[in-house]
Amino acid sequence: MEFFDAFAVSLQSVWNDSGFSAFTPGNGIMIIVGLLLLYMAFVKEFEPLLLGPIAFGCILANFPNTGFFGEEMNIMQAIRFGINYEIFPPLIFLGIGAMTDFGPLLARPSTLLLGAAAQIGVFVALAGAMIVGFDIKEAAAIGIIGGADGPTSIYLAIKLAPHLLGAIAVAAYTYMSLVPMIQPPIMKALTSQKEREVVMQELRTVTKFERVVFPIVVTIFISLLLPPIAALLGMLMLGNLFRESGVTDRLSDTAQNSLCNIVTIFLATGTGMMMNADDFLKADTLLIICLGLVAFMGGTAGGVIFGKIMCRMSNWTVNPLIGSAGVSAVPMAARVSQIVGMKSKPGNYLLMHAMGPNVAGVIGTAVAAGTMLAMLK
Amino acid sequence: MSQPVTTNPLIIMCINMTVVFVVLVSLSFLIKLIHAIDPTKQPEVKSDDSEHEEDAAKETAAIISKLQEEKSAPVVEEGISPEIIAVITAAIASCGVSGQVRAVHVVNNSNSTWRQNSPNKILSKK
Repeated sequence: MEFFDAFAVSLQSVWNDSGFSAFTPGNGIMIIVGLLLLYMAFVKEFEPLLLGPIAFGCILANFPNTGFFGEEMNIMQAIRFGINYEIFPPLIFLGIGAMTDFGPLLARPSTLLLGAAAQIGVFVALAGAMIVGFDIKEAAAIGIIGGADGPTSIYLAIKLAPHLLGAIAVAAYTYMSLVPMIQPPIMKALTSQKEREVVMQELRTVTKFERVVFPIVVTIFISLLLPPIAALLGMLMLGNLFRESGVTDRLSDTAQNSLCNIVTIFLATGTGMMMNADDFLKADTLLIICLGLVAFMGGTAGGVIFGKIMCRMSNWTVNPLIGSAGVSAVPMAARVSQIVGMKSKPGNYLLMHAMGPNVAGVIGTAVAAGTMLAMLK
Repeated sequence: MSQPVTTNPLIIMCINMTVVFVVLVSLSFLIKLIHAIDPTKQPEVKSDDSEHEEDAAKETAAIISKLQEEKSAPVVEEGISPEIIAVITAAIASCGVSGQVRAVHVVNNSNSTWRQNSPNKILSKK
């Protein structure tokens, strides 16, 4: 009899410690969402490098009794630390800087305007968020999703609305991975066949002097003007300086490969870990995701419309499709411009031309974030 | 955190868009300035359409006269296709030999090493 009592108590203890005892329908829903995202990442191949870890993090976050959200330090806590203390976003920017060629932007500086115009989505979403009841700081953090820049969205959310970090990070990264689905219909709707067929002239050669001086000058100028984003832009430009200096190949290689990959794993998994049912399954989350989509679509539309204006003003030498790359999802948005352009006119290569506004979008989103921090903090 | 300077979304939108445009336009001027002071840039050649046309005409005339100076096409025995001539010429050129193919003939030498080895190769492949 004593044996059976001990056996029953042990079984009860195992059951109480197991995840099944505390499993809620919400956890079930979020695990299904995670599985769906995994399917999109690995089967449909929608940005698997980002969406894969996000989806897996989402599944992990919804197992009860794991201790991931407790006080005890573990790997998941360490990852959350890296996000909450603004360590990962600047490191990602270091890698992006090392990977990005600023040449197209330097060769055609007018494309900076497309990067600025695409930020309209940020402010449309900001206004929308305020209308549906979010306060000004929350609205600003939600609006920045329209910049399609995950690290900047996380950076601003931590500073202005930390309680919304999970929903904002998830919306930003999800929309970034869905760029190839969201942008083309808007681009086609806003442009005519004739506009999409515009062939752009070859870019001029950019010298090494320009490539090296540019990141240094930008860092000095923007860090003095908008100190709150000095960490983000400084790291972006440092990474680019590693790339362009020609004497720091090892650092450039580490920044754009090993380091960036490691931080991407941590950042994306950590973002997925924020999709815990208790924090995520709220009406606000749904609103943020809807507003993020509005912001993203607004940014794409703003860039394309400004591209149309530039097309007319430049006597049909600028293809308006490159305007959509003004949202800063590097290099996905530029690739979408290329694909849509090629479908309209085979042989019309827009990729390098679209990289100009794409890089300008990264700077523009960071500047928009810095301005909002300066105004609202 | 202190209170925000304004909570009017329209004002925030206008101010922010203005700042973003001003900063990025300033950056475009900085890029132009860097380009202007770049000591390593190649001096821009003033391109004039008529000058271009003259240059092109001169180049064409030079090429034509060079072709005329070159000796006539190689003497090719009947039964050898132009493709074979092209392959032979390309092979000679790829060896870095300068000059011109003068004539191509079929040599019916049954003792040649190539002729002897080719059936062996075919057999070994089977």
